Amino acid sequence: MVQTPINSTAKIPPSTHQFADVIHRLEAGGSMLPDTPENLMQIIGIYKAYAVPMDFYWRDLLYIAERVFLEPLPFFKYFLPQEYLDLHNHYAGDDADLRIWRGEATAHPELLEFMEKGTTSKMPKLFHHLWHDRINMEFAEACMRAMLWHGRDMGWGKFDAYLDTEEYQANADRAIKAYFKSNPAMLGLYKLFPDMFLEQVRQLSYYSNLGLFWEVMAPVFFEMSDIYDEGGFKGVPDAMDFLVNGIFAVAGRPIYHHAYIGGECYEIIPKSKGFTWLYEAALPYVEAVFYRTAPFRGTKSYNAQAKQVPDEQKDFHYGILYADVFPVGTAGIPPTLLMDDMYHFLPDYLQEYYQQHCRGEEDILIQLGITFQRSMYNVTSAVIQALRQALLYPLDDQNPKHLLKNRQFFESQMDRFLRPEARLKDIQSQSYC
Amino acid sequence: MLSFLLWFPVIGAIIIGFLPGKIESDSLRKITTIFAVLAFTWTIWLLTQFDLSNSGWQFSEYLPWAKPIGLSYSLAVDGLSLPLVTLNSLLTIIAIYSIGENVERPRLYYSLILLINAGITGALIAQNLLLFVIFYELELIPFYLMIAIWGGEKRGYAATKFLIYTAVSGLLVLAAFLGIGFLNGASSFDYNAIATQGLPLNTQLILLTVLLVGFGMKIPLVPLHTWLPDAYTEASPAVTILLGGILAKLGTYGLIRFGLQLFPETWSIVAPGLAAIGTFSVLYGALSAIAQKDIKRMVAYSSIGHMGYILVATAAGTELSILGAVAQMIAHGLILALLFHLVGIVERKVGTRDLDVLNGLMNPIRGLPLTSALLIMAGMASAGIPGLVGFVAEFIIFQGSFSIFPIPTLLCIIASGLTAVYFVILLNRTCFGKLDNKLAYYPQVLRSESIPAFVLTVIILFLGIQPNWLLRWIEPTTNLLAVNVNHTEQLAVISNQQSIINK
Amino acid sequence: MADIVDIAVKTEDFSTLVTAVKEANLVEALKSPGPFTVFAPNNAAFAKLPPGTIQTLIQNTPQLARILTYHVVSGKLMKADLAQVNSVISLEGSPISIDCSDGFEVKNATVIAADVEADNGVIHVIDNVILMG
Repeated sequence: MVQTPINSTAKIPPSTHQFADVIHRLEAGGSMLPDTPENLMQIIGIYKAYAVPMDFYWRDLLYIAERVFLEPLPFFKYFLPQEYLDLHNHYAGDDADLRIWRGEATAHPELLEFMEKGTTSKMPKLFHHLWHDRINMEFAEACMRAMLWHGRDMGWGKFDAYLDTEEYQANADRAIKAYFKSNPAMLGLYKLFPDMFLEQVRQLSYYSNLGLFWEVMAPVFFEMSDIYDEGGFKGVPDAMDFLVNGIFAVAGRPIYHHAYIGGECYEIIPKSKGFTWLYEAALPYVEAVFYRTAPFRGTKSYNAQAKQVPDEQKDFHYGILYADVFPVGTAGIPPTLLMDDMYHFLPDYLQEYYQQHCRGEEDILIQLGITFQRSMYNVTSAVIQALRQALLYPLDDQNPKHLLKNRQFFESQMDRFLRPEARLKDIQSQSYC
Repeated sequence: MLSFLLWFPVIGAIIIGFLPGKIESDSLRKITTIFAVLAFTWTIWLLTQFDLSNSGWQFSEYLPWAKPIGLSYSLAVDGLSLPLVTLNSLLTIIAIYSIGENVERPRLYYSLILLINAGITGALIAQNLLLFVIFYELELIPFYLMIAIWGGEKRGYAATKFLIYTAVSGLLVLAAFLGIGFLNGASSFDYNAIATQGLPLNTQLILLTVLLVGFGMKIPLVPLHTWLPDAYTEASPAVTILLGGILAKLGTYGLIRFGLQLFPETWSIVAPGLAAIGTFSVLYGALSAIAQKDIKRMVAYSSIGHMGYILVATAAGTELSILGAVAQMIAHGLILALLFHLVGIVERKVGTRDLDVLNGLMNPIRGLPLTSALLIMAGMASAGIPGLVGFVAEFIIFQGSFSIFPIPTLLCIIASGLTAVYFVILLNRTCFGKLDNKLAYYPQVLRSESIPAFVLTVIILFLGIQPNWLLRWIEPTTNLLAVNVNHTEQLAVISNQQSIINK
Repeated sequence: MADIVDIAVKTEDFSTLVTAVKEANLVEALKSPGPFTVFAPNNAAFAKLPPGTIQTLIQNTPQLARILTYHVVSGKLMKADLAQVNSVISLEGSPISIDCSDGFEVKNATVIAADVEADNGVIHVIDNVILMG
């Protein structure tokens, strides 16, 4: 775990920040998560368990954005048609734009197996759905809503601003009219309350945004799992570097929103707007979901008058990096839904690991929740390093002024974890589990 | 038949105490359980053989022992003692499982538990005053050792205090019994040979007062209660269950058996005073419980309050109130055992009993959800929520006592509302709220720990819904007792009038 | 004199940039009268990008064009002009920070050849591809 700091600290004085050791580790090319074999095993295992439901999330998000569209009673929006299960991921398989995962482009076999049998037995999809023996799409929608809600003042990308342009409204209008062309009641409603439908389409654009984002992440995580199984990663920084390279490789991937109505494609947000994966999806996603989100119903009571909820959206701090994982198990809250989804796909080594810790099988959801938290600190580290690489200077830069700029950047990032809710301090120790 | 019940645990204790070789705590526990379960099965069998239409003594056994001093080995049960014997056997099994897997000095520990069981059974089934006192005093030794060896931080202090109080209690009871015997000139201390009717009223009053102070210490009643919070709190959960669940019942048992039954003439004179003391105990216990920060102490004070109901009901002495008093003994024994068992689990897992530290134990994954749920159940039972056995007993008491002592009964009803207050405080602080992340690494509750709580809960619930199963054994005997009292009350009034006329 | 595109085509060290500009259909725009200031990353700058980055951008020309327009500012701004300001707004819309206090730095890139004049503007050669944010 002890890393020899590379020459950066030799050229500039050590940091006096509260998280100085983490900052020095970042300056040495490390991750916020300490580099231990145990941490590496945990995060890779959870990436794998996360990627399988994610393979469902992105397909269904796109299905909803493109096909379900404005369906007034979307009972069956989680019933993914075969067409979307067979949809080729652009970053896996033989015909990939850029092959990140060496596996196949269609839905992951473990996912298909789970969709067929669930935890119960083989029965019609409807029963699986009603028995809640399925992938919890509600989690994906909660993430989407966090992006929608925080989109306005995130400071990243031009996606949300575009949703307010006349160009966008005209595109949406065409799609809405086309969708309801044989439904006079809804058309009348649209006449009366145009903004209501427009807002729905904006939300659908975020469905598309998040779907396109996760379409990339699923193969990234699958590939990391495969590399680990082959003995490829030497430590946590290796895993982080893979993510950094992944972020750059697909940074230019277009983000768009197409809707298919009556066999025709309506380009609500065309690819030609030049929206990119990094700026319009990844960075807003990290900000909205990892850092901000909103308090989950049922986990804690907040008193807004007593300033227990920040006035400004930018000060929200309810994301996974701050999350208290212990209320996991509270009915229906998004983190629990995700933990439950991941639980079905844990690799054997992680399953075994949890059995030997804390309460074993009984509190496995909390244990994997905390692992997930660790792994997301690693992903955030990758984002921080990628930003540093894109906007600032190499870690081995010879110019001390540049190194100082890097230092300032890292420190300002760590400032966000100074608030007491942040789990950065906790994940430094293995006893947090 | 009753001898078996008495000597079987003693044999068990001897076997466990003198088993050769080194034996694991766990296997000793299993052996103890076998003895306890067999004894319990035996009491169940007795229950089935018990003649419900007979209000008198059953399963009598008689062996002359020390004739010159009037001591005989004479055993029997009636509707008053048999339910308590059953409770005793049940709580012994619960107690075995309420201290955790590994006990220090298990050999001594488990044999003492069986000895306590035997001692209490002996006191309950004795048919001779001296025999009763012997058992009444004898079980102090294992109790003292249990508190002094396996207790908490201040165990030495608590054990000594307990011993002094209860030994004095035994001496007073013995003094009263000897007084009754010698003043009567009876040649035997057998129950059926003893009566007080022939004695002058003043002598009766003095004897009864001595007896009441003696039993009052054991119950305990309020001015005599100070040993209780210390002993209950410092003792291990197992001992507390036996102390509060059944030992304290010997006091109220004595009150009915020897106070009410032996002094039917004088009872009506002391009854108003007793009712006042009882009511005071109820209020004092409830208010003190509200002020506690330690959950075990809180439950201990609640016990003082609930024992007060029994006193009020016994004082009233109507058919219904005595029935209620005996029902409350059983109900309170079950509920208190459940409460102490659960509090014991909380203390063992969380490592504290401090209300200010405990929080969020309802957390479904990292808390103690099952324990919390059962604790809520126990709290409701103790507060007398309908459908649970506590309600049945309290309701009968209130109904039975109201006609005799309306004001004390009303105050008791108010106090039972206060019970809800402190249980809401306890449950709210302990079970609800947010689990502290820094502390939430509690060990799991083992099945061997939760099953006893389940058993008690099921019984509490069952007897709450179907109280007949509890009352049918008690009713004939208590009816007889009440008839005696009422009858002699009139006699006493007549004789008083006569004595006035004579003057 | 030649326009910006001509100069770039003639310079061997700009071959990647030229390919990218052609792919992104920006040739016409950069041949227009302008004037423009172009921060032109050399081949070494593109080579620094992690593998796959270019491939993805080449596949998606609007996105490529967006990155490239970030390197273009309207108006002819010489080094002396830029020394007066802290930042300029690119054609892409996002600001580019300028630091002339110690050498000539554009965001996290260093200018290795300043003030290469063309008919319709000026080129500053930089050693990094600069990115928005």
